[in-house]
Amino acid sequence: MKHPHRLLGMIGVFLLLTVVASQQVVYSQFEGTLQPGFGPAFLALRHAESAGATADEVSALVAQLNSALALNREALTLTAPQDAEKRTALLAQADQILSTVTDQATELATTSFQRAHTNQLLWYVWSLLAAALGTILYIFAVSLRRRYWIKRTLEMKVTPR
Amino acid sequence: MSMQSLDSRRTVILVFLILTVLFELTTYEASVQRPAGERFFQMYILGANHKAANYYPQNDTDIRVGSVLRWYLGITNNMGSAQFVEVQVKLANQTTQSPDDLKALESPAPAITDFAEVMLKNGTWEFPFVWSVENASMSGGSAHILTLEIDNQTYSVSSWAGANGYNFRLIFELWTWQPESNTFGFGWASNGERHAAWLQVWFNMTNVSPIPMAE
Repeated sequence: MKHPHRLLGMIGVFLLLTVVASQQVVYSQFEGTLQPGFGPAFLALRHAESAGATADEVSALVAQLNSALALNREALTLTAPQDAEKRTALLAQADQILSTVTDQATELATTSFQRAHTNQLLWYVWSLLAAALGTILYIFAVSLRRRYWIKRTLEMKVTPR
Repeated sequence: MSMQSLDSRRTVILVFLILTVLFELTTYEASVQRPAGERFFQMYILGANHKAANYYPQNDTDIRVGSVLRWYLGITNNMGSAQFVEVQVKLANQTTQSPDDLKALESPAPAITDFAEVMLKNGTWEFPFVWSVENASMSGGSAHILTLEIDNQTYSVSSWAGANGYNFRLIFELWTWQPESNTFGFGWASNGERHAAWLQVWFNMTNVSPIPMAE
């Protein structure tokens, strides 16, 4: 090999970058305390939002997600053995909400996407109509100017010098 | 067809084309999403009266076992989209390493508890944080906090010590949901960089005896 030190250098830089990149994000020690449905539900919500869902639509889903979080938190406080049944019930309720939110958000993403596209198409049609209207106004203005010019020409008085 | 009418017809078509291009371009420009400016979170903590004051009972930073402290923690979401956030609460002393803003590294102190919320775009989440030291002891010239009560829940804090009872602190770190890894990560990513937001409030505990009932 011609330049072994160059290869070693590149490997060194790669390893350094890998170590630095792996240090950048540290994950929460509380992730295990959340129901697994939170991730997909939040992701579905983000998709709906980026697809063009309105603030009210997103707000309704966020409220549901937060109610699931409150149930999750309440369930975690029930640590006594006699509360096991209640804890399971609360977590099941949270799961039910998360499942509903995921479904609603997925549906909302589809409708929002379609609505956004329809609106965009409508705006292009309106632009075309506005251009047509502008042209009609132009023709009208030109004809008005011409008529005024003819009238002025006819009314013109020729006075001898 | 006269030359003049042909010319005027051409002009009309030209006017129509120019207007069409003009309006369609305006519509296109309006519909294209431009990259937003800087995206960030803001974090604040207020005292008992919802002001940046009165963080301690009788404004004395030297608290006692049983002293109830009421604070309000707030986060504002300027990330341009809904965010799933978590606030981790950590107890630390003077020697504990603080979170690193530049490297976006969290404090190595173990978290006592967390608060999580899904936030709306441009929304603010504020929640009360009511806490007290439930049990503490003094040994070897150091005060040891053994248990904390936060929002009516008791947490063991594995004996945090402060020399002579000075320089304890509560650290609040902001963590955000990372959709790519499906978990919370410290800070947030914006423009390819990681950023962090955290707060701390210092307190002393030079007297580990419980607060008298009359106080």
